[in-house]
Amino acid sequence: MIKSLKEWILVFTIIGVIMLIGNWIGYDILPWEALPGIAILIGISLAGLIIHRLLPFQLPSIAYIGIIGLILTIPGVPGATQIVTHTTEVTLLAIATPILAYAGVSIGRSWFDFVQLGWKTIVIGMVVLLGTFLGSAVIAEIILRFQGII
Amino acid sequence: MGEQAFKLWKDWRLHVIVLAIVAVTESIGTFAIPLGPGTILLLPMLYAVVIGLALYFTPLVTDKQSINAEPLVFLSVSVLIAKFGVQAGPALPQIIEAGPALLLQEFGNLGTILLALPLAVFLGLKRESIGMTHSIGREANLALITDKYGLSSPEGRGVMAMYIFGTVFGSIFIGLISGFLATVTPLHPISFAMATGVGSGSMAAASLGPLIAAFPEMSETLTAFSGVSNLISSVTGLYMSIFIGLPLTVKMYEILSKNKEKKAAKGGVDYDKKS
Repeated sequence: MIKSLKEWILVFTIIGVIMLIGNWIGYDILPWEALPGIAILIGISLAGLIIHRLLPFQLPSIAYIGIIGLILTIPGVPGATQIVTHTTEVTLLAIATPILAYAGVSIGRSWFDFVQLGWKTIVIGMVVLLGTFLGSAVIAEIILRFQGII
Repeated sequence: MGEQAFKLWKDWRLHVIVLAIVAVTESIGTFAIPLGPGTILLLPMLYAVVIGLALYFTPLVTDKQSINAEPLVFLSVSVLIAKFGVQAGPALPQIIEAGPALLLQEFGNLGTILLALPLAVFLGLKRESIGMTHSIGREANLALITDKYGLSSPEGRGVMAMYIFGTVFGSIFIGLISGFLATVTPLHPISFAMATGVGSGSMAAASLGPLIAAFPEMSETLTAFSGVSNLISSVTGLYMSIFIGLPLTVKMYEILSKNKEKKAAKGGVDYDKKS
């Protein structure tokens, strides 16, 4: 646990620096302005990972991370406004770019397996993604309209 | 995670490569390509996944970097999930109001069965199509099929094929279509924001990005809904597949493949020599 904690903190520091630089280049937000925000997001991630380790249930760690973030920012919770103000400085798109850069490097190894699959897989794969995405959006739309929300 | 991810921070070569990719792609910035009535948005994160993939085939990236990158995707996704979380808190009243839609849109996962399964059977795929089309084919679904049929079964090969497809192309494909669909269809951006939560963390990032770029004035609301939808999917998605998705796919596959045999017998056309 202590070993992974040290590892996590070091890795998050590196990822955090990369995100701050991307946030600066792409969205003109100076790194020291976004620093408290990224520190808060990393703190929430760490807390979620630790809770996932300590609790015996089989919930994915991202479930804990999302819930902690949500609880901390419910209006009225002490510090919620500050957390929201600081984390707004970290653009979502700046967080996403390094994720997909790591993903790109990582999927290179699956490339040859992928090529062997043939064209049918590509066609069906696109329809699977499209079907799921559009299916969810259509159902959400119907229910939101039914409730009169949109 | 953790023990096996030992000394990830030491792979400076990987981190420098990623930093370089981020610096280059963020300075290129976003491009909007009008296509018919909609827009395709090219975002830095889309270039990032393509450049990362291309670099794998250069001496700059070795297998060691590629192996180390995998847990790093997970750890950086957790920062994204934290961002989703802090956007969701302030929108909580709105989310509770939209609660039924958020829960029920999980049924949208069945869209793939209605759309992709008939196509797979039409293209002549056998039981592979069950593994391929019962769900979006992420980690949880891979585990489910492996558990039920084994990975070397036709169903196992199907889900593996879809898993690899989604891993290699999922974020690129869904990143390109989400902004386009949102601008071209009459559906509300919030409905699409909920739909971005159905896949993996990197797919959520890739499909939410173009939405936010297309509707910047709604950015906070869209992020909040995407995050909560992702949260709900991560908890309920597997059960959805176990109890509804997979049984429905199997049933529909049996009906579809029987119809096909009948047609083949009647018309005398030999669709498939083996059956």
